[in-house]
Amino acid sequence: MDHFPTNWGRPRNDAFDHYNTYPIPVRPQNNAFADSVQRTQQPIVTGTSVLGLKYKDGIMIASDTLASYGSLARFKDIKRLHQVGDFTAIGASGDMSDFQALQRDLESLIISEEVTEQDGHKLGPKEIHEYLSNVLYGKRCKMDPLWNSVIVGGFKDGERFLAYVDLLGTTYTSSTIATGYGAYIAQPLLRKAVEGKEDVLTEAEARKILEDCLRVLFYRDARSLDKYQIATVNASGPSISDSIKLETSWGFAEGIRGYGAQTQ
Amino acid sequence: MARGRTRWWWKRETRSVTVTQVTRSLEDSEERPNMAMELNGGSVIAMVGKNCVAIASDLRLGNQALTVATNFEKIFPVSEQLYIGLCGLATDVETLRERFRFLVNMYTIKESRAISPQAFAHLVSSTLYEKRFGPYFIEPVIAGLEPITTTPTDGSAPTTEFRPFIAGADVIGCLNFAKDFIVTGTASDKLFGVAEGLWEPDLGPEDLFETISQTLLNAVDRDAYSGWGAVVHVITPDKVVSRTLKARMD
Amino acid sequence: MPSMEHVAHPQQRAFNPYTENGGTILAIAGADFTVIAGDTRQSEGYSIQTRYAPKVFRLTDRAVLAVNGFAADGNMFVKKVKQRLEWYRHAHAKDMPLRAIARLIQTMLYAQRFFPYYVYNILGGIEDDGTGAVYSFDPVGSYEREACRAAGAAQSLVQPFLDNQIYFKNQQAAPGQTHPSHLPLPDVLSIVIDSFTSATERHIEVGDGLEMYIVLAKGRNTQGMESLHGVQELSSKLDGERVFVVRRELKKD
Repeated sequence: MDHFPTNWGRPRNDAFDHYNTYPIPVRPQNNAFADSVQRTQQPIVTGTSVLGLKYKDGIMIASDTLASYGSLARFKDIKRLHQVGDFTAIGASGDMSDFQALQRDLESLIISEEVTEQDGHKLGPKEIHEYLSNVLYGKRCKMDPLWNSVIVGGFKDGERFLAYVDLLGTTYTSSTIATGYGAYIAQPLLRKAVEGKEDVLTEAEARKILEDCLRVLFYRDARSLDKYQIATVNASGPSISDSIKLETSWGFAEGIRGYGAQTQ
Repeated sequence: MARGRTRWWWKRETRSVTVTQVTRSLEDSEERPNMAMELNGGSVIAMVGKNCVAIASDLRLGNQALTVATNFEKIFPVSEQLYIGLCGLATDVETLRERFRFLVNMYTIKESRAISPQAFAHLVSSTLYEKRFGPYFIEPVIAGLEPITTTPTDGSAPTTEFRPFIAGADVIGCLNFAKDFIVTGTASDKLFGVAEGLWEPDLGPEDLFETISQTLLNAVDRDAYSGWGAVVHVITPDKVVSRTLKARMD
Repeated sequence: MPSMEHVAHPQQRAFNPYTENGGTILAIAGADFTVIAGDTRQSEGYSIQTRYAPKVFRLTDRAVLAVNGFAADGNMFVKKVKQRLEWYRHAHAKDMPLRAIARLIQTMLYAQRFFPYYVYNILGGIEDDGTGAVYSFDPVGSYEREACRAAGAAQSLVQPFLDNQIYFKNQQAAPGQTHPSHLPLPDVLSIVIDSFTSATERHIEVGDGLEMYIVLAKGRNTQGMESLHGVQELSSKLDGERVFVVRRELKKD
């Protein structure tokens, strides 16, 4: 028996057929803002490189605290590292508004997980990374990307995890990762310092390596800042430092024309 | 006449381009590969063996996808034991062949001796670099035997040995002295792959012939712009053996 | 004067949802086995992202899939194929036959005809009749069964070498003899290794590591694998088709 009067031959009624559940009516396009909805076509307020590495008892992620507006150093104390759940930290370069949207998304994911608190499962870095890659890949498929390169790091069940995901949904894991200009400037330094020594490097050594890389980036990347944060994730969970001032030396500049105080 | 004049003015008009347009056309040319290198098709390869060298090419001459001739030789003798393969735009093959013939003749007359492969390579390089900003669309390959004459201290007669020599260059004459093989042409990537898999050091003339022939044939069979016959020259101290290979003609 | 229309217009670059991640894959079928291989480098432009990102995946005990092109699409595609194979297992209590997986892959690729997975697929394994098989696909799903296939960044370097060494193209058999239609396993393995060392030598996007999967037909012994060190078995049972993986280093420069 067909229960739907529209199928019996009753003429269409424009007054209420729109509210029927079946057949699904073609509703009039009445979104007045349809033409005004904008997708991220290009990043606006951006963060530069993020660095990540594996060390003896966990992983470390570092980034400076600058959010640029083009070439303008617009926001100088922006947090680009973020804790997710009990085992994970993420760091993002690229569009900061997209990253903050991601932060809210992850926050609600963690909150919705509280419902199943007692099920014996907790979201670890692998799950967070898989979730993020699905979000970013899904958005790129809608041609509405989240314009970020994200490093996901964590420590769970005695295992280190360090991975990357970007606006295209491209993913990979590696013992050192660098985004943005860091991929060209810091990654070679990181690889030299870390590869083959992942199980030996102490926390202090790892921190020194990252600081050295951030310093080189500050010297050469015009969109970087001498203020940074480091996230450490080990057996005792994630901890994200406050903003730290980078020690830099400009003594060499005195001898170079154009760098120092010379006028001629 | 009037028609020609109008055309001329029209040309002048279009030349006054804005800066933005110039930038754009540069960007365009970056995206588009140089068509001149693929217009006529063709590939050349040279390989080093033990006391011998080999140089080989396909025989196709095309106009884009249309094959025009299947007897278009691209390898020419420079002296008895020195050959050059000219790969690229067919009109420049002819031009450069004549130009090198002239230059080598002049060299031979002035110096009263045959040009060595080494010297010839540099002659090729400088000839190409002369046209640095409007180059010949040719990537040459040189293969030959370098005579090394040693005069013993005991007063006995000098002896001549032959050292295998191959070289390649890009369109503006940047030389590449490889110790194994040189490839150019529309099938160069394929030639690289097969040669890297088949070539080994110290091949005798017969084995070298087989290796270079197999490399060339299998590479050009995967290239739409090369093939339709092939020639191989194997250069040894006492003779040059030139063979035309039976190849796929499709 | 040329019109200012297209000059004054600000240049806006549209979002490009694709990229290329380099690497090369390769598969060769034997009479009763198949070898499926891929390098493990993942790159973008001139940067190496990681030295170990697998491109070859075990689907079932008799099917292995290699994916090459845009890595994000590749990983998503493999995930979806694996999901469909699991659904098939739940519905039919058996693994999907190889030729059916091949058709499934073509359907899944063609479903995305107007926003394609930018991925070249090579499926290798054992057919129901016990023969080794290789299926190769283009990004929108057109496919064929072959004896061997190379794909990816160094396809143009490797494929003509395979024509010569596997199909004996341009080679004449000894008088009164014919070329073998299938090569023995040790020969195939050394051709695969040679292909990748050659490609590594001449292509910047190929290198770091080599991952070779070997699928053996039901009842075939491991003859030809004795000399291979570091073989790891991945089969779920020992009395059916068997899958092995072998890893080798490639040059890292």
